[in-house]
Amino acid sequence: MALFEARGLTKRFLGVTAVDAVDLSLEAGELVSLIGPNGSGKTTLFNCVTGYLPSDAGRVFFRGRDVTGVAPHRIARLGVGRTFQLVSVFPRLSALENLLTFLQQHQEEGVLARLVRAPRVRRFEGVAVERAMMLLESVGLASRASAPAGSLSYGQRKLLAFAAALMPDPELVLLDEPAAAVNPTMINQMKDQIRALHRRGKTVLLVEHNMDVVMDISQRVIVLDHGQKIAEGPPAAVRRDPKVIEAYFGR
Amino acid sequence: MGDLVEQLVHGLTLGSLYAMVATGLALMFGVVRLVNFAHGEFYMLGGYAFWYAYRVLGLPYPVAGVAAAAATAVFGLAYERTVIRTILARTWHVQLIATLATSITLTNLAIIVFGTQPKEVPTVLSSAIAEIGGVRLAWQRPLVLVAAVVVFAGLEWFVARTKLGRAMRAMSQNREACAVVGVDVQRVALATFGLSAALAGGAAALVSPLFNIFPDVGALLTLKAFAAVIVGGFGYVKGAIAAAFLIGVAESLAAGYLSYAYKDAIAFVVMVAVLLVRPQGLFGRRIGI
Amino acid sequence: MRALRFGLGGAVLVAVPWIVAAVAPGQQRYILHVLIFTALYGALALSYDLVVGHVGSLSLAHPAFFGIGAYTAALLATEAHWPFAAALPAGIAAAGLTALAVGVPMFRLTEHSFAMGTLGFALVAQIVATNWVEFTRGPLCVTGIPKPEIGPLRITTLPAFYWMGLTAVGLIGLLYHGLTTARLGRAFHAVRDNEMLASAASIHPLKYRMLAFVIGGAMAGGVGTLFASYVGVLCPTELAVSLTVNLLVMLFLGGVGSLRGVVVGAVAFTALPEILRMAPTWRMVIYGLLLLVIVIRAPDGLEGVIRRRSSAPRRPSASGA
Repeated sequence: MALFEARGLTKRFLGVTAVDAVDLSLEAGELVSLIGPNGSGKTTLFNCVTGYLPSDAGRVFFRGRDVTGVAPHRIARLGVGRTFQLVSVFPRLSALENLLTFLQQHQEEGVLARLVRAPRVRRFEGVAVERAMMLLESVGLASRASAPAGSLSYGQRKLLAFAAALMPDPELVLLDEPAAAVNPTMINQMKDQIRALHRRGKTVLLVEHNMDVVMDISQRVIVLDHGQKIAEGPPAAVRRDPKVIEAYFGR
Repeated sequence: MGDLVEQLVHGLTLGSLYAMVATGLALMFGVVRLVNFAHGEFYMLGGYAFWYAYRVLGLPYPVAGVAAAAATAVFGLAYERTVIRTILARTWHVQLIATLATSITLTNLAIIVFGTQPKEVPTVLSSAIAEIGGVRLAWQRPLVLVAAVVVFAGLEWFVARTKLGRAMRAMSQNREACAVVGVDVQRVALATFGLSAALAGGAAALVSPLFNIFPDVGALLTLKAFAAVIVGGFGYVKGAIAAAFLIGVAESLAAGYLSYAYKDAIAFVVMVAVLLVRPQGLFGRRIGI
Repeated sequence: MRALRFGLGGAVLVAVPWIVAAVAPGQQRYILHVLIFTALYGALALSYDLVVGHVGSLSLAHPAFFGIGAYTAALLATEAHWPFAAALPAGIAAAGLTALAVGVPMFRLTEHSFAMGTLGFALVAQIVATNWVEFTRGPLCVTGIPKPEIGPLRITTLPAFYWMGLTAVGLIGLLYHGLTTARLGRAFHAVRDNEMLASAASIHPLKYRMLAFVIGGAMAGGVGTLFASYVGVLCPTELAVSLTVNLLVMLFLGGVGSLRGVVVGAVAFTALPEILRMAPTWRMVIYGLLLLVIVIRAPDGLEGVIRRRSSAPRRPSASGA
């Protein structure tokens, strides 16, 4: 059973079909890239499968369970982590608090217990802080743990968002353009981080424009154009596919 | 039957008022994406300007009316230059609170300057009663309706035929593209404000012979105009106009047949009902003026 | 030594009636009256800040919950002769349940529509209170609301009401603090600052917005009950939309989202004009202008100004916020 599957996913906006009957499937432990020219529907697809946009047709499955139309917070809770195209952090919270926010719902405490700060809650808090510091360490932000996230540079915020998405240890990680608008050093850092994720057994789906990154780290590449899947396969094969070449250069 | 017709005419009069005020609001939201909570105060100021021009200065009715609209427009331009410009780039929370604060300031200033006693501005037409087939109504009422139709036709012509108007329409559909193409975004924003204010001021000149002017008149009007804008679909001017007439007629019929006391609640009942059933408004997410 | 400062401050606050009696004997009634109002307003402002400042929902419906709590308790006390100890929870519950009922449809709306919808509700509430004369007495007001009696405790004197107000703001402040710190506070703030990201963090935005809205509404109802029992008379004008404006001024003047800020704002709003003997209309003109300037220039209010002063010269950081 595939870890993640989209069947016939379709999304229309005001007459334009942004995602057109797309079939997609990821086995556990795969590292797959989703590419395509601008406006090909990649981020729309991300938003549909993570619950932010209602789809017009098709179904989405996670671990065999139908999650079509499920609210985004519940999909996240099931073990799907994601980052956003426009880097998203909580600017007023510190880097550490940003990460803590991502873990807190994964504890079965009711509102009342939190209000009275029950002892079990306090212990959880300690474990959470440890994990957060470890993740910050791994992305090189440990020294900025108490800095407000809004004061970090763009690249640092990207890394923070990445670390935050990993806090609840999701099985499936969706990354929206992790290499966009960052300097080459940072890009290498990102690649290393993604590879490390993959080595730990996580399943990764990334949307990316940077072909070097895509070709370098992906096991499999899926190509979208005008909302339709036009190619799929190992990076080398996709790169040579005439349909793909035409989609990118043929107009 | 005569009763029903009277109520309908009253409703259309109200609808004309709400439509003119709502158009200004919808224009501002459509063109510059701004929510102006002080819009009703434009009407209030226009009303006092009209009273001053007509009762105090003794100008003839049409002249006083135009003067009132012009004075309100000037105020609108000044307001845009000072307050609005600084909050255009801020979040809608800031815009709402800032304009709400303006509304409170203006209302209380009006109390201080003009007192709380309503000003009456009867005109020849508001006291002259016509009798048509058993229905009695003041001539002012059809005047309001006709004037409203003329104003909307004029607005449509303006938006379709003049450079400024076309720029406004373009901005309402895609602001970023306009800046790139060389549309003077600042100037268009300013003009939109002046136009919205003039509409409100002109409406005051038309309607205050029937309804009187007092400092608080803006508050309820702002909210009903908002109700119309929401029901019509944020940013869609024609929708706002249609919704405004709907609300005016509903209010008048409710006042006549259900309960006069609760008539002011009708606008909100309609608004909430529409919002719950069709959150994008009656006419969908059509944008544009 | 925070505990010591707290204890000392608390003791001073409790001792106020005696301090006033010693320092300004002729003015005692007036000063205590102002302080009671300040305390009640402070509590009300805190309940509103929960919704506006911490979860970021710009609700304009607060006067309605205040009024519903007040009217429920007042009518139960005057018509059904309920004792205060029963009328107060009834007022709180009525306001809270109304908030629940109103919140469900309202939170389906976004941004401006939510603000308008809640405003519409507040207006309708006032219209109903004014016109449903058989039930609420309309403009004739509910009169003869009895003074609170809790067991052997009878709150009839001004100092007693002052302590009641102090207790109210203290309790609500404590609750406010508990709700806005640690994990619950983080959840609220996440929803406020970036709802999409909050969802990605498994936080259910609607649940937390509703929680703040209902608790804030219930608290407002409680304050309404106390208000009604202090003034003894309850009129529909208490539900006026201008109350929202007053609350917004308090919040933004003092510092939205901050306990100390909101309390300072309430004190500044209520006590200051009394000290300056401002006429009501001029007061609102000034506050309108103040709110305008503050929301544009210093949206963090006095609290923000204080924080910036106290965290002054530092090493310049590598990148700005």
